[in-house]
Amino acid sequence: MATTDDSAGAWFGSDGQVSQLRGLLFKAGCLGATLLALFLVFVFLVYVAVDAIEPGTADPAWWATVAATVAVPAVALAAYYYRYDPRAGEVAYTAVGLPIAATLLAGGVGIVFRHIVSPHEWLALVVAALVAYGALEVHDRVRRAGAFERAAIGAIVLVVTIVGLPGLVPSLRSLILSLPVLPMAPLSLLGTFVVPVALAVGWYVRRERESERAGLIAGGATVAAAALGAVAGPVAGVSWTTWLILTTVVGVPVGLYVERVLSGGEGVSGLALPVALAAGVVVCAVVVETAGFTGPDVWLDWEFLTNAHNRTPREAGIYPALVGSVMMIIVVALAAFPVGVGAAIYLEEYAPTGGLLGSFVELVEINIANLAGVPSVVYGLLGLALFINAGGLQPGIVIVGGLTVALLILPIVIVSAQEAIRAVPDSQRQAAYGMGATRWQTVRTVVLPRAMPGILTGTILALGRAIGETAPLLMVGVAAVVRISPTSFFGLFSAMPRQLYSWAQLAKPDFYHGVLAAGVLVLLIVLLMMNGTAILLRNKYQRRD
Amino acid sequence: MTQNDTRNVDGDDEQRTDGSETAVSEPTTGSDATSDSLLDASLDVEGGTVPADADTVIEARDLDVFYDDVQALEGVDIEIPENGVTALIGPSGCGKSTFLRSINRMNDLIDAARVDGDLRFEGKNVYDDDVDPVALRRKIGMVFQTPNPFPKSIYDNVAFGLEVQDKADDVDETVHRALERAALLEEVEDQLDSSGLDLSGGQQQRLCIARAIAPDPDVLLMDEPASALDPIATSKIEDLIEDLAEEYTVVIVTHNMQQAARISDKTAVFLTGGELVEFDDTDKIFENPEHERVEDYITGKFG
Amino acid sequence: MSDTPIEADLTRSANGRIAKERLYHGLLFCCAALTVFVTVGIVATLAIDALEFFGRVDPYAFFTGTEWVLRSENPILGILPLLSATLVVTVVSALVAIPIGTAAAVYLSEYASDRMRSVLKPALEILAGIPTVVYGFFALVYLTPWLQQIGLGVSLFNLLSASIMVGIMIIPMVSSISEDAMSAVPDSLRQAGYGLGATKFEVSTKIVIPASISGIFSSYILALSRAIGETMIVVVAGGSRARMFDPSQPFANLLNSGQTMTAAMVQAVTTDLSGGTAGYYSMFAIGLTLFAITFSMNLLSNRIAARYREEYQ
Repeated sequence: MATTDDSAGAWFGSDGQVSQLRGLLFKAGCLGATLLALFLVFVFLVYVAVDAIEPGTADPAWWATVAATVAVPAVALAAYYYRYDPRAGEVAYTAVGLPIAATLLAGGVGIVFRHIVSPHEWLALVVAALVAYGALEVHDRVRRAGAFERAAIGAIVLVVTIVGLPGLVPSLRSLILSLPVLPMAPLSLLGTFVVPVALAVGWYVRRERESERAGLIAGGATVAAAALGAVAGPVAGVSWTTWLILTTVVGVPVGLYVERVLSGGEGVSGLALPVALAAGVVVCAVVVETAGFTGPDVWLDWEFLTNAHNRTPREAGIYPALVGSVMMIIVVALAAFPVGVGAAIYLEEYAPTGGLLGSFVELVEINIANLAGVPSVVYGLLGLALFINAGGLQPGIVIVGGLTVALLILPIVIVSAQEAIRAVPDSQRQAAYGMGATRWQTVRTVVLPRAMPGILTGTILALGRAIGETAPLLMVGVAAVVRISPTSFFGLFSAMPRQLYSWAQLAKPDFYHGVLAAGVLVLLIVLLMMNGTAILLRNKYQRRD
Repeated sequence: MTQNDTRNVDGDDEQRTDGSETAVSEPTTGSDATSDSLLDASLDVEGGTVPADADTVIEARDLDVFYDDVQALEGVDIEIPENGVTALIGPSGCGKSTFLRSINRMNDLIDAARVDGDLRFEGKNVYDDDVDPVALRRKIGMVFQTPNPFPKSIYDNVAFGLEVQDKADDVDETVHRALERAALLEEVEDQLDSSGLDLSGGQQQRLCIARAIAPDPDVLLMDEPASALDPIATSKIEDLIEDLAEEYTVVIVTHNMQQAARISDKTAVFLTGGELVEFDDTDKIFENPEHERVEDYITGKFG
Repeated sequence: MSDTPIEADLTRSANGRIAKERLYHGLLFCCAALTVFVTVGIVATLAIDALEFFGRVDPYAFFTGTEWVLRSENPILGILPLLSATLVVTVVSALVAIPIGTAAAVYLSEYASDRMRSVLKPALEILAGIPTVVYGFFALVYLTPWLQQIGLGVSLFNLLSASIMVGIMIIPMVSSISEDAMSAVPDSLRQAGYGLGATKFEVSTKIVIPASISGIFSSYILALSRAIGETMIVVVAGGSRARMFDPSQPFANLLNSGQTMTAAMVQAVTTDLSGGTAGYYSMFAIGLTLFAITFSMNLLSNRIAARYREEYQ
């Protein structure tokens, strides 16, 4: 803003101060506004954490121990990474976050095997599916039939093996379940859950490393670690089943990640953070135990996670709602993912731009954009009218809640999948079409593999939204309090946010500042892990492109 | 369909002075009555001296291509003989790539594109209603301007065509043969499992050529295959194209006139407005073109 | 032509490939068409039950009634108190969200360093991911007592606290969409400004903001439509007493409890799930009103947004 009107007549000088000040104020104001929004929510989060943990109830010595053994080393390491080794910092945060996220996932898997499909049921399902697949392969060998015949045969075989023909043919699944002797539950899981995971791991490592041997070792190690639980589980104080799930869901990804960091040689020092944290926790526990310091009287404890709602605040827990949320998310994902991705593929790869159909497609696109903005409570009404009033389903059951929320997140899934598909370079499609690939072959072999990380990111974010939705659940009659976890998708359920709302209505200080805060914290941790995973996934594949 | 038929009839009235008329005059498609008299003349394209023994594989008759209202090709007539290299040259925006892409109906993928007239591949108008563009593309391979290998292993890249075309027999051997044919096997033999994207630009383009020839198409279309490569890689690709021409009919778009002169047997010159101005033996085009505009273009006075 | 004609090779025949393609095409088309079905479903279900409602309650009385008392016997159903509460929440939340959101967008798009942006953007994204019932809890358990502490005479349930929280909730929406619009302004425009000797402040306020104004407005409209449809915050923190807006005491409305349209729907469904009463059907009439308002706002917002996309792409 230098003008030449001051005495020196020079074009440089201090003339611009006024406008500089104005600019500075503007910049500071903008930054301040950004930080204000974040800061406000941060303060709320601190309050929630304080309410849920009640730090005041602990010995000061307890806090000093925690600070000395866990907090100080962690902060020191974080400062070191920030200053000297950002790459190691990334490794450090992933290496800390991954086990936590994986443990949450393991909790989800545990809930699935405990409440939804028992290990024996799972065994029967897997065996039945394998038999169906085998039958299809044999049929394919014997005669090469058209697509429709194969699809039809596949459907029939699958129905016969898993559902059976009511009254005529019992399904293979029920036959297996009625066998007098079934392997122990952990053994069934070892065969039908760990082994497939191990196969996938082996395949992945083999592809990454281009070494048959590395793949075999990785796969073998997975099975061995899980099998070890027969002996090690009881020693560690957990059941073999828990051990199995922990090793496959937590141990495998963590092991793969650590191994990759070590062999890549980049940012290896980042692994010090999780090690220091773990060591700190152990030392801290030992010191606290021997010195007899009392810890805080936390609301968010194991009891809270495993109890049902109770009128006594200290007894109240969130477990049935947690199970309900997991089951609901399964329904939501199964319903929204295929349909959403299918719609996105149609709109991006198949839809014509001209003609009557073209204008219909345009209408669909506008419609999707608008549906994303329709209030969730209206979706609740749709679910109420569609599934309960018209469909005759019982109010407040898992499938109704799940499908209603699936409708709600469908537009979000579609839009993000469209973006991911659009980001696949056109030259790839051209190459495929030029080779004489059909549209579907191009989509399946070229477009989808490349767009999948983006699609998954969007879907995880959408599922995060689904977990927190409350209003639609209220509208479809999800009960205020459910004390028994649902055991089937047609059972009554409650979900975490619905449970929070019930507690908020109780209007008692102990619920407000204790139980409710703990519940909010659980919900937020789950969401943070989901969103964090999605954002990491996105950053990783964006960097690669 | 009806439009195509009309075009066909129109075409019959024209006279053709092609030297290739004997070759074309055979009953072509049998079923299609209008195609019996394809040997007429009097086009604005001067015929060359195609060896009498060369069969025509691709033949365009009064081909127009529009993108929305913009005409990209105008009344193109051409007969591309079997085997050998045919080069399409011309200034940018002259429609040479459009013509190439209309041969295997890649223009179908652009909604705005509209095609009028006849384009015959082995006697069949590829724009007939009963033609499946996918089946057509399985007989015609294509290599693009920038190398576009898939983010898969080298092996899977070459096997891609076999997979989508259900040619499951002897995949291993076919992949090796295609790589060898594309003069790439020696360089990649022990890293077939590594990603195709790890190769250099020139290698990637040869990988794309291997991918295109693996399912054994009849024709190979190349859209400026060397324009994104350095001189050494370019000369390798050029050698390769000359080699391939013994087995395949190669149609190549290039903006590099020296390249066209070096490797092609016949050359078609497109000039602004999507008009095919001259089509003849390459030597003739470069030494003694019929049209002054072509001469101007060749000598660099224009374009 | 070469040897024998080989037409058959090119034609649509081969081994069910075409059939398979058609099958997939059809399936995928159904997926896309399902979204239209959802819209039609919403409109149809809402309309049918709303008609049922208007069979029992005079539409004129519904849309002009200034009193809303939901009870099983003789309910008084006039939508204006709900509409006025919704309006109050929307206006106050806009007062919170629009300045903060726009300033954040300007900062992120014009001033922030890459490193700053890589921290702030995910943080705002996480803000957007917090469930609304949690925001409602924040408002009820922390914000309301704070407001009482600083001397505002708010009652336990009040619209002010709920509105502020709705405002905080929609900040990320305003900032991210506005920032997209500002980032879409071509750099050449900024450079033209700098070339003329403009400061960064002038470039931001006189070039970038005017150039992206349609995108910014579209973000406002979208955010407001979100505020109108917001349910859990107002249900948890705003209370459930429908009160007509009193222009003579504008602040009294804010400091006391009130019931928005969405809150009334939740109350209707949680008090009478069995269905059949006018109160139950009123929910569909409110829902239809709400859907009409938000859908047309979204449509408007998309129209405006499409304009700026046309301008710079």
